[in-house]
Amino acid sequence: MTNSTLATGWWMCATRNRRRRIGAACAAMLASAVVAAASDAPVFELTLANGRFEPSQLTVPADTALQLRVTNNDTAAIEFESFELHRERVVQPGETITVYLPALKAGAYPFFDDFHSDTPPGSIVSK
Amino acid sequence: MLLLGAQFVRLGAPPPEAAGELVAAPSVDAVLRSACFDCHSNHTRWPWYGYVAPFAWLLEHDVSAGRARLNFSQWDAYASDPETAHHKLEEIRAAVAGGQMAPWYYRLLHADARLTATQRDLLIDWARSAGSPPPS
Repeated sequence: MTNSTLATGWWMCATRNRRRRIGAACAAMLASAVVAAASDAPVFELTLANGRFEPSQLTVPADTALQLRVTNNDTAAIEFESFELHRERVVQPGETITVYLPALKAGAYPFFDDFHSDTPPGSIVSK
Repeated sequence: MLLLGAQFVRLGAPPPEAAGELVAAPSVDAVLRSACFDCHSNHTRWPWYGYVAPFAWLLEHDVSAGRARLNFSQWDAYASDPETAHHKLEEIRAAVAGGQMAPWYYRLLHADARLTATQRDLLIDWARSAGSPPPS
């Protein structure tokens, strides 16, 4: 019997609540590790005001993990989303959030406000 | 003739390689695979009409859009920003609880995607517990 078979059997036998607690604990540990590893990364700023992202094109270094601080200076919540970056975050009015980004290959990574289709999209350009 | 020629026109691109698939309890994983993975993973089971234009084009468009919004085969990419993973799980919970997923037109043709009350509760429960707010 392989280790993975034993692990699967144990998981199936564990009670529902225990599985839930273990899953939540693992997720929390992973999240802590991810945030700790990324918190030293260089910071870049992006602001939404008057229905526009500023800057609309943000240039960042390639192959470098980074933090993106997104500030919403408008009066309605926005959803900062990028399919290419696999990021999707709600930003309330007046709020600043930190989005952790892995080292990006050189290229353009579009983003948009999924709550407001009339907001012009922007892009992060990694060079 | 036009319809015949259309059969040779394939849209879209092959899915990107899986980069860290979602890991969930076997019971949850089974429901996700049968009801969600066709549009939200790189493991799409293409039906026979998925090879016949123009249905193939519509299907490829739907699958591409579904993968862009949520791709369980690239879950690690979401998890590298814990708040994004949390947000995705909250959206899954809301969509399943609200009956928006799977879409009605998909459920018409795919019995696997018609969630029972037990399956729905299982997914909601999982999304809620796995999506506990990340540490600040």
